[in-house]
Amino acid sequence: MPGKKRVAEKQRQRTLEALRTAEEVARLPAVVPPVAYPIETLVPEARQQTPAVGQRATRVDGRLHGLGQTKYIDDLAFPGMLHAKIKRAGIASARIVRIDTSAAEAMPGVVAVLTGAEIPVNSFGPSFQDQPVLAHERVFHAGDGVAAVAAVTEQIAVEALEKIVVEYEPLPAVLDPLEALKEDSPQVHPPHGNIYTTKVILKGDVEAALAASDRVFEGRFRTQMVEHVSLEPHAAIAEWDPNGRVTIWSTLGRITLARSDVARTLKLPMNRVRMVGTIVGGNFGGKNEITQEPVLALLSKKTGRPVKGVYTRGEEFTSTTTRHPIVMDYKTGVTKEGKILARKVRLVLDGGAYCSWSETTLGKAAILSAGPYNIENLQVEAYVVYTNKTMTGAMRGFGAPQVCFAYESHMDDIAAALKIDPLDIRLLNVFGEGSVSPTGQVLHSVVVKESLLKAAEHFGWREARS
Amino acid sequence: MKRRGRGIACMWYPIGFTVSANPSAAVVKVNEDGTATLLTGTVESGQGSLTVLGQIAAEELGIAADDVHVVSGDTDAMPMDTGAIASRTTYVTGNAVRLAAEKAKGVLFEVAASMLGVRPEQLEARDRKIQVKSFPQRNLGIGEVAYHAQVVKGQPPIGSATWNPPTVPMDPKTGQGQPFNTYVYATQIAEVDVDDETGEVEVIRIVAAHDCGTAINPMLVEGQVEGGIAMGIGFALQEEMLFDAAGRHVNPSLTNYIVPTSLDMPQIEVDIVPSYDPTGPFGAKGVGEPTSVPTAAAILNAIHNAVGVRISSLPATAEKVLTAIKMKGERARIGAVAGGE
Repeated sequence: MPGKKRVAEKQRQRTLEALRTAEEVARLPAVVPPVAYPIETLVPEARQQTPAVGQRATRVDGRLHGLGQTKYIDDLAFPGMLHAKIKRAGIASARIVRIDTSAAEAMPGVVAVLTGAEIPVNSFGPSFQDQPVLAHERVFHAGDGVAAVAAVTEQIAVEALEKIVVEYEPLPAVLDPLEALKEDSPQVHPPHGNIYTTKVILKGDVEAALAASDRVFEGRFRTQMVEHVSLEPHAAIAEWDPNGRVTIWSTLGRITLARSDVARTLKLPMNRVRMVGTIVGGNFGGKNEITQEPVLALLSKKTGRPVKGVYTRGEEFTSTTTRHPIVMDYKTGVTKEGKILARKVRLVLDGGAYCSWSETTLGKAAILSAGPYNIENLQVEAYVVYTNKTMTGAMRGFGAPQVCFAYESHMDDIAAALKIDPLDIRLLNVFGEGSVSPTGQVLHSVVVKESLLKAAEHFGWREARS
Repeated sequence: MKRRGRGIACMWYPIGFTVSANPSAAVVKVNEDGTATLLTGTVESGQGSLTVLGQIAAEELGIAADDVHVVSGDTDAMPMDTGAIASRTTYVTGNAVRLAAEKAKGVLFEVAASMLGVRPEQLEARDRKIQVKSFPQRNLGIGEVAYHAQVVKGQPPIGSATWNPPTVPMDPKTGQGQPFNTYVYATQIAEVDVDDETGEVEVIRIVAAHDCGTAINPMLVEGQVEGGIAMGIGFALQEEMLFDAAGRHVNPSLTNYIVPTSLDMPQIEVDIVPSYDPTGPFGAKGVGEPTSVPTAAAILNAIHNAVGVRISSLPATAEKVLTAIKMKGERARIGAVAGGE
């Protein structure tokens, strides 16, 4: 029938049209085709049911992500907006002799240049304020920023960085945490020593219990430095207004803290700083504190224009916080049945150039280092040291993945030597309801045994191996 | 030849900051139709925390997740929050949200009590209704009450609250104290194939049994576990920032710093271990960070089980595993020779 044919032809045309549109979209991934939204949005049932707790409710932001409509910092643009770039030291330890920004300032398209000397309070940090916003006089690690440029395009800003001349006097650097412990090693932040925090946990009589043990095992474990590798890099836009109030849109997980850090570094009352937390494209601990926000704010103040900064992947690695490498020494005394009688732990955390969240990481690593096990006699000594490397800070687990790798590897070594099944040695030693933690705390809602049994059952641990 | 191995690792992890105060505040406003708005100073990082906070507010008000709109992330307009850190959002911010919703509900109960001729203590909020406990036929729609409260009584139902987990400082000499208010527990079991000729490790399967107290949203818990495992695999096998002798980072790009992709993902099977923490909102604790904690340990134990070598430094790259296998073979050969003499 001709009618049917016409319908089929129309269908074909529509399909072709859709394919063409799809192709265009594929070529221009940043441009979303116009969409007419329905008045009634389909809401999944789990979002509409009561009781609300326990529902597999979908995320409200999921629809935006799925349609490519989420606006990250890089998707935002304000009229007259400038682009900022930061020059990195590229040298691990040095004194800055001279910074010459005149050639960069003379470049067409460059609107302002900023150095560390212009920052009202050039230090920040959650425990110790030992990190400069931009290095001034002294470079502590190769990723330190030494100057910043605001230009009409990102490319001009990048080119301007090349025109900035920085003269350095190299200073001895210390890179290994065990070297940094030594008294004669170069000091990262003189006159302070390299050990900047220590944690000790003592319980029972370790030496006596070790002597009374059937077997004593020792092991050294080390972990590496890793990055969070959020897909969205650190990014922010700052706009200084004529009332002397600054608004900063930033991809940060802690805007309350960021506001106080920005107010402190800029010497502004807090009510003149507004932090807007935008959609965060991955955090994992890497976006817990400010990075370039004060720099962007000051460039905006200098230029009277909004200023945007987006870190490169390289800056993400070398100039933002990372996970602490830890050298972990374990000594454990056990009965021949595998019951842990005593444990001695020594942790040396590589803190990198600045404290950042090292104090918290040290505390958690020390407390958790004995594992979820009942150990009456325990001695933990933990140190975090400065080195001239990228600073380590908050990262998913605050030291726990490192010590878990050590205490669980150690546990398997003990089990193998005593010819005990790895599951059984854990069941013999793990916490139960009301167990006392290494810090003397009585624990509640403890289900570590249940988790072991559940995982073993699900995995088929007890079944004969194929 | 590929050799199969399995490894187990369990862990414990605290919720919230170590000793230091880490409060959250929240504001809940019930609209005239019984829907609600929640104001929080935390920021969504993609883990679904705002969805969970919305569910907590909804539960307290007896409405559904979709009835609560969550506004976040502006220091001019939102109450303070310590932020998305330390696996604390569900537990700490969640408690503040629940308390704020409870206060807004208190206004609704007061108004509904006079409408129903009972005392406020006799009421409960369920299924978008405010009803008399043990006599649910006697009820009013929450929208009707909210409208009456605001437009007739002039008492808009708004609640604000703060919460901070109680801790006891640690003794500096012995470390004794109560640094955290609660902890979560988990076990992961990894199954791996290790190629004894190349040292390459392939993670085949991970079974993960995690405690998070009450799972406010089980789907989001599973998502967290899967993401945490992905990160744990990178930590165990691939990722490492390398520095040259002068302290410059030599692999600052994703071409030579290798992170796991979807192709590296094993089969992941998640179990939520039943538990209830009376100090958390509706018994909830948290799950963010712990999901990444035992993965590397389980994988490294599985490598040991597969080929009998203990890799004591991360990451267990193919080169490192192969060298260890060769050294083990060498030691066995020397041992055999020595034993034969």
